[in-house]
Amino acid sequence: MGKYNSRGITRRGFIVGSGVASIALFIGGFPLFSVACKGKEGSLKIGITTPSTGPAAEKGKVMEDGNKDAIKYVNEVLGGAGGYEVEYVWLDNGYNAATVVNNVNKFMDEKCLMFSTSSSAMMTAAMTAANQNSFAGLAAFGAPIIYRPPQHIYGQMPDYGDDWIVFVNYYKQNLWHGQGKPKVAMHLLSNSTGYGANDAARAKADELGIDIVISREHTASTTSEITSLTEIKALNPDVLYIASTPQPSSVIIKNANELGMTGGNMVIACGHAGITKALVDLAGADKCEGVYGTFPTIGWGDNVPGMAKMTEYCQANHPNDYGNMDYITTWAQSLIMVKILSLAVEAVGYDVLAKGDAGAWEALEEHGIKALSNYDVEGLHGPVSYTPGDNRLCKSMRVFQVQSGLIKPISGWIEAPVVKYEEYDWFGK
Amino acid sequence: MDLPSGVRNYTYAQDMSIFRTKTHWVLLALLFVLLLTVPVYMGNYWLSVMNLIAITIIAATGLNILTGYCGQLSIGHAGFIAVGAYTSAVLTGQMGLPFIFSMIGGGLTAGLIGMLFGLPSLRVKGFYLAISTIAAQFIILWVINHWTSLTGGFTGLRVPQANIFGYEFTTQTSKYYLILATMVMVVFFAKNLARTRPGRAFVAIRDNDLAAQVMGINLFRYKLLAFFIGCFFAGIAGSLMAHCYYGFLNTEFFSFKESILYVAIIIIGGLGSTVGPIFGVVFIRLLENLLSSELVPILEGSITLFPSGWASGLTPMIFGLIMILFLILEPRGLAHRWQLFKTSYRIWPFSF
Repeated sequence: MGKYNSRGITRRGFIVGSGVASIALFIGGFPLFSVACKGKEGSLKIGITTPSTGPAAEKGKVMEDGNKDAIKYVNEVLGGAGGYEVEYVWLDNGYNAATVVNNVNKFMDEKCLMFSTSSSAMMTAAMTAANQNSFAGLAAFGAPIIYRPPQHIYGQMPDYGDDWIVFVNYYKQNLWHGQGKPKVAMHLLSNSTGYGANDAARAKADELGIDIVISREHTASTTSEITSLTEIKALNPDVLYIASTPQPSSVIIKNANELGMTGGNMVIACGHAGITKALVDLAGADKCEGVYGTFPTIGWGDNVPGMAKMTEYCQANHPNDYGNMDYITTWAQSLIMVKILSLAVEAVGYDVLAKGDAGAWEALEEHGIKALSNYDVEGLHGPVSYTPGDNRLCKSMRVFQVQSGLIKPISGWIEAPVVKYEEYDWFGK
Repeated sequence: MDLPSGVRNYTYAQDMSIFRTKTHWVLLALLFVLLLTVPVYMGNYWLSVMNLIAITIIAATGLNILTGYCGQLSIGHAGFIAVGAYTSAVLTGQMGLPFIFSMIGGGLTAGLIGMLFGLPSLRVKGFYLAISTIAAQFIILWVINHWTSLTGGFTGLRVPQANIFGYEFTTQTSKYYLILATMVMVVFFAKNLARTRPGRAFVAIRDNDLAAQVMGINLFRYKLLAFFIGCFFAGIAGSLMAHCYYGFLNTEFFSFKESILYVAIIIIGGLGSTVGPIFGVVFIRLLENLLSSELVPILEGSITLFPSGWASGLTPMIFGLIMILFLILEPRGLAHRWQLFKTSYRIWPFSF
């Protein structure tokens, strides 16, 4: 053994050395694992998580760009929020629920004042951690389950259920001339996007005087809906309402054309997840002609105060995103968060918010979010207000129609009434 | 077990012990001290990551018993986790049962459903069995989505917080201790299972099921037992996921991609060993979080030469590359590397 001891390494020495090295690493790693420090001096911090990779990356990446560009614009042109630079912590969630839970915990550790997500599914994963800590969150695309009953999660725009209510109301008042109740057939994507509309129909169809004659489901990867549409056609509905995303909606619209369901009295309508430029591109302008839809933001090129700067920043930083409605959505989302920060800093002062703790979160919610009143989001959006008992910050949307390949607004802003889903025994038990 | 040079077993008890030498006990004590003091120096984010790691270890240990020990390939593990999660949520939320009973109920239900989908294993194996377990994943999620009166369907289901004897587990720290205690019990059970009659029967079936049958091992009984135990642990993990991690359930949380990830975890960790799933889970979950939450924002912020989003696009590529490298360079997983390290330490000062 002496020979080996002379090398200066024994098993005991190895253990002691390893132990000392581990302890050193452990202590050295403290800053990585411990709670992060607050943001830069003179700045206000928010958290943003988007599905920039993974199955929803096509939407998520554009939404990330919209969020970031808007904050750049706010800092460069508007001088920040209430005179303080807006700093963001952005995290990709890969459309993975487990990652979102970790992200929201990181936002709290990083002393962010609030956070945003860009999909209802991801907000359902984040909301328990956020609600338990009274940490406010804002979801771009929302389903009623995230804010019914209202707690600390807010909807930027009306939800998929509101789409349905706004459209059937518009249809009854402006398009339908029959007797009795209009017959509506539902075609639902098999997730919360599709079933958000179904929840609204389940809750409000009788009250609104609508007869739901059939409800069929499709998947995001559907390639043919001839069978389900044949069943629907046999029932001769007045409206075929598609609650889905552009790809499957385009399949359904093309199939409906093949079955001769268009061109007659039947109207086809889409929710706001479906009625985008991508739908017209995928289905073809001729097949989409006359299709209705509801959407909560303005369109590219509309004459509103915020359009010029948004277009300038988009074309300078992410020219490929130009024409994509999702960019407008999260640009507007960032503007709303900045407005909330401005109101809060004006009411309670910078020092309270800069702490980024539970007190700051409460102050932000009470004096920022709940103080929102008719904020116009530079015209990019329906007006934003907080109404007690209703955590949808914007409650209005417009009806659009595809005309000569373009999606054109055909109505003013229509407010969707609040639906207290939690009062129905089938809702989210 | 392998012992350091100069250490021998003289009694049956010594031969059967898991922790044989003083060094083992000291290292175990240090590990426990380290695990129990984690909340002292970690923030909410890292505790949340630790909770996810521990829950994933429970589920992966179940899959390792089924696939690693018994050789029954299952690619529907996320579906069985969903069964445990929803059962537990319904038992607490709608039937008012205490959390502990609901968690066990979730495990039992997942185990029984696992046995049901394990029935084809008596006739098919390998890729064919993999296909039937994929079917389990899709059938389970379809049933959950359409049994709306019980599960809330696509809308989802709110889940009460875990509560034991009136103590509510609402903070990350309290959840951490609950999940850690459950994980330790599961790992201890799995370690001992491998040394029992059923454990050895599992290994015999994995190595050659025909030879095992000739030796008198009841394939029907032991294959279904492996499915039951594997899916029981998946159900326990699902229950903890529902009550201590998400607080809300939606079938999108239990995607097919998650099932594939579990298979990747036990392959990278090392099939057929107790520490394999632990290494695999720690490696995969830390890699996921370090890439998406630490590395990507730093790269995006510091390197502006490339178009926006280049770093987030890099994440799945790095993740995939590491998996491929593992399969090429160390197909027996991290557990094998650990075994090599231990052996070289034990035979010191001789070369390995």
